[in-house]
Amino acid sequence: MKRILKWVALVVVALAACGFVAFLYFIPPLMSMAPEEFINGEAAMAPPVDGIADPAIRALAERGRYVLMSTDCTGCHVTPGPQGPMPDMYLAGGRKFVTATRGTVVSRNLTPDPETGLARRTDEDVKRVLRSGIYPDGRAISHTAMPWAQFSNWSDEDLHAVVVYLRHVKPVRHEIPPPAPGLAGAIVPEALEVVYGADAGKK
Amino acid sequence: MHRVSSGRRWLACCAAGLLLAGAAAGIAQSTAGAPPTDVKQLYDTSCASCHGTDGRGDGPAADALVPRPRDFTRGTYKFRTTTSGSVPSDDDMYRSIAQGLPGTSMLGWKGILSDGQMRALVVYVKQFSPRFATDRPTLVTPSPAVPSSPASIEKGRAAYDALACGACHGEAGSGAGAVTSGLQDDWGHESHASNLSEPWSFRGGRTSADVYMRLKSGINGSPMPSFADTAKDEDLWHVANYIVSIARKPVWEMTADELKAHYARQAENDAASPVQRGRSLVSTMACSHCHTPVDREGRALPGLNFAGGIKMRLVVWGDVVSANLTSDNETGLGRYGDDDIKRAFTHGIKRDGSRMLPFPMGWPAYAHLTPQDQDAIVAYLRTLPPVKNQIPPPARPGVFTYLASKFQMLIGGKDFPIVVFAGNAGSAGNPGGSPAAARR
Repeated sequence: MKRILKWVALVVVALAACGFVAFLYFIPPLMSMAPEEFINGEAAMAPPVDGIADPAIRALAERGRYVLMSTDCTGCHVTPGPQGPMPDMYLAGGRKFVTATRGTVVSRNLTPDPETGLARRTDEDVKRVLRSGIYPDGRAISHTAMPWAQFSNWSDEDLHAVVVYLRHVKPVRHEIPPPAPGLAGAIVPEALEVVYGADAGKK
Repeated sequence: MHRVSSGRRWLACCAAGLLLAGAAAGIAQSTAGAPPTDVKQLYDTSCASCHGTDGRGDGPAADALVPRPRDFTRGTYKFRTTTSGSVPSDDDMYRSIAQGLPGTSMLGWKGILSDGQMRALVVYVKQFSPRFATDRPTLVTPSPAVPSSPASIEKGRAAYDALACGACHGEAGSGAGAVTSGLQDDWGHESHASNLSEPWSFRGGRTSADVYMRLKSGINGSPMPSFADTAKDEDLWHVANYIVSIARKPVWEMTADELKAHYARQAENDAASPVQRGRSLVSTMACSHCHTPVDREGRALPGLNFAGGIKMRLVVWGDVVSANLTSDNETGLGRYGDDDIKRAFTHGIKRDGSRMLPFPMGWPAYAHLTPQDQDAIVAYLRTLPPVKNQIPPPARPGVFTYLASKFQMLIGGKDFPIVVFAGNAGSAGNPGGSPAAARR
């Protein structure tokens, strides 16, 4: 009887170990999930514009949503969570970039939160960063972290539409730390950028 | 003796004082206010990303910009109030810095920099070109403005045709039927004739006086000539009034119905010129951000536009290298079918059926492009000149490393960063394969 119990225990432990290894191996199931699941997840994060009362603003926001979504702004500006991007923190930022020449920056909170988001910035301020990488205080952001040089080729009208949409996403309180010193070369000598996966912001 | 000495000292003081006053006046003339402590530092932090530390217009960000940032070393400036071929006045340069150039990365610095800082930058930028040491600006003397009226606009329309403005700017200034590609500036970079119905993007300003001045002074360095000697001055005012009159409504002033019609028309135009639309998408979606290798300054490596080769180390998942998007048959997309390319950038499935991770390549986002825009991207990628740059396949870690780092990540909560490498991990310029990949 005792011997049987011992064997059972052994089998259970072995199975648990196998299960744990399988869990480690397959989680998160990035390579086995259907592409559509990622694609639909992306669309589900971006709030629709139906709720906007003014039909002209709605039409502009719709265009802005299209431009913003197809440009993969979320690639850097969705708050990273332990299991990938956090859908309820859409565009709330928090990804840390250590650049090769311009210090350490954290992707900004683009939601219209009054204290930690873009509600503090004028349309002109937002457009200036998107087009020239210059903040209102004159500070410049590296074009290797934020591709403003490429975004400068947006027409003024598409740029405007993007800003209109940003004004209508859900405000999320998420404080982003200011830029800090620290260069990528100190972590990996040949690095252009070191990008962290954990949320560097404060809720 | 003492008297003489003190007299001399007094004279010396006077002379020094005069010199100082002269120098101060000189500075005051050019900087109008307190001179900044370190104008070089200001230039290097605010201007050099685009214009380069030597003012050659070749800063690390310059490659992605259309139009290219100004090369200061030639002393050729576009937006002036001086005659064609003349150097600009200090005020011209100050205006470009303070107000910026609409529609481009050149922002208006007014409100960010002080007047003194901007004036100091004018002086600093001028020293990049020897022309300013010898040449003096010759100002245009504008004739009295002709106020806009239906009659003036009608005359302007006739003069617009007579001066063949439409050859580059198209019928009614909209670009229709014009030379829209193939124009080059003096530096050999692509140049685009302005769409004259969109005055908010006029670099030199949108009033009839601004337009008149462009016609009068020309846009030196670009294909836009001066009409000072080839047209009657009064006609230039008429043309300016005509151009101001053909402005269309911008989207921010449109009603919902107008917007609907506008976007439908835009989609029609895009469908008619897919390569142009594709170029615009590929540029604004920042494809080159990952698919053009750069050095540690972020400067594109020469000859490798869209040739891939940026290596990223995703510690758990291994090393992946961005693909060569050029039309090269062996190493690029040359043998990919249209559907192969679309499946790759919208579903993360490569031609051989293997899957991409949902990052760093943002295919889950790009899947939301309309079918028409997806076709446009393919059409544009087909036009990229072939570059031979063999990209190594993803280097997945061994099972043990994979499991161990997964354990640290999922159980230990360790944050493995993605390391993006400078340089090209492809074969071009790296005979025998990529040194960075081999080190792994």
